[in-house]
Amino acid sequence: MNPLETIHAAADYVRNKLGGIKPVVGIVLGSGLGKLADEIENPLVIPYGDIPGFPVSTAIGHKGNYIVGDLGGKKVIAMQGRIHYYEGYDMFQVTLPIQVMKVIGIRYLFVSNAAGGTNLSFHVGDLMIIRDHINLLPNPLIGPNIEEFGPRFPDMTRPYDPALIRKAEFIAAEEGISLQKGVYVAITGPSYETPAEYRYFRAIGADAVGMSTTPEVIVARHSGLPVFGMSVITDVAHATDDEEYVTDGEAIVKAANAAADRMTLLYKKLIASL
Amino acid sequence: MDPRIETIQGAVGCVEEQLKGRKPVAGIVLGSGLGKLADKIENPLIIPYQDIPGFPVSTATGHKGNFIVGSLGGKTVIAMQGRIHYYEGYGMENVVLPIRVMIGLGIRYLFVSNAAGGVSFSLHLGDLMIIRDHINLLPNPLIGPNMEHEGPRFPDMTRPYDPGLIKLAVRLGVEMGIELKQGVYLGDTGPSYETPAEYKFYRTIGADAVGMSTVPEVIVARHAGIPVFGMSVITNEAHDDYGEDYENDGEDVVKAAAAAAEKMTKLFISIIENL
Repeated sequence: MNPLETIHAAADYVRNKLGGIKPVVGIVLGSGLGKLADEIENPLVIPYGDIPGFPVSTAIGHKGNYIVGDLGGKKVIAMQGRIHYYEGYDMFQVTLPIQVMKVIGIRYLFVSNAAGGTNLSFHVGDLMIIRDHINLLPNPLIGPNIEEFGPRFPDMTRPYDPALIRKAEFIAAEEGISLQKGVYVAITGPSYETPAEYRYFRAIGADAVGMSTTPEVIVARHSGLPVFGMSVITDVAHATDDEEYVTDGEAIVKAANAAADRMTLLYKKLIASL
Repeated sequence: MDPRIETIQGAVGCVEEQLKGRKPVAGIVLGSGLGKLADKIENPLIIPYQDIPGFPVSTATGHKGNFIVGSLGGKTVIAMQGRIHYYEGYGMENVVLPIRVMIGLGIRYLFVSNAAGGVSFSLHLGDLMIIRDHINLLPNPLIGPNMEHEGPRFPDMTRPYDPGLIKLAVRLGVEMGIELKQGVYLGDTGPSYETPAEYKFYRTIGADAVGMSTVPEVIVARHAGIPVFGMSVITNEAHDDYGEDYENDGEDVVKAAAAAAEKMTKLFISIIENL
């Protein structure tokens, strides 16, 4: 099967399972947003392992499912667990779940992740609207262009939809949720950044760093889908040159959990407002 | 079983058999600058890479490809005479295989060395630079399913180079009258050398020296929690604006590198003595 046939075969399988449900919003649940899955009403769970052409889920770790249902009064399809490049998958496999959501007809893509803060004013537990990205991963569109999805050279002037960003800021103000806004740089991982690498990312204009998201966004923008993205800052690079510095795992988990609650609320309200 | 683990264990078994009970404490990667250190290893046992199952065939590795096991500074060490470079066309798994084998043999320290281009204007031909941090622009060697027995999925890289070993080296450098610089090493694939624009890019992002190796080896060692010490011999200087008649003077480079290598050899022996 060529790439397009693989995508269509998987989409046919998922569409068949949906039995006429038409999801409007696709959501990628990053480390920070796992709880949002529990908020989806009338959930239909489709394990990646059952979908033809999907990478076998063992290496993905814990969970690998589509969850289809209602959120904020809209039909959504959520990815519970994404496929990461650092697991050894190629970029086609990494972005296959996004391509499938595109084919079944989503009109918005929401992405989320846990990220390290490279911006010195960020703190653990901050929420950052991704307003732009720097891609240091292989580009997922390398290869023959799939013309039915989009152009050979897709524009990336506005990878993250300005209107959705404004809406999110408005809702956050109403809910009393404070937000950062910044640039996400994606690297392969899986080893974490060295202090020198943190300085490098800061020097080139990044506010946060992680190991995912940008391939998904590029593939969505290739087809002209509006994207909204958010990072939960789960680590900060401020003190890493300090000899006494130790990463406090427990504090990070606590802050990330609290942030996840705020992010879940925001995503729900934002989807309701679409 | 994970075929990667099978390869590592097969190679470890082969080397262990030849060691006859000797347990190397330190692993040493002999970069271009440190070839002479091999001659200082006493009672050397030479194990050619090509005799080790699973090792890449050495033709492309170039001249030498051996493990040398013996005594140095009163310790049992295992040295890699010749490393495997990514630019030769090997996959990252092959590039780091010898390191994983040394980890499997139980080394407790890893020493790495290389010849590097000076990116910082304060580095000069023949300088020795303690690597205090790195920037990795090579593919990450840990991409793929995690080998849990070696370390965690997302290894911390806050201190890729051991602060204790750096302090020890600085102290010994002072005692021995060897001038040492410190800086950030940037690993890129090569094999083409850097353009002036790339040199400027690397300086902008905080690199002091640039080379085509070392970083993958360090990441794999740190994954397994092994303390690392690294040093670059500066064999080239960066200029943003080369005159049109500028040429790399090969002879000068070789001379400066040889003098630096001698100092570096002494220093490494002394550090290993003091472990």
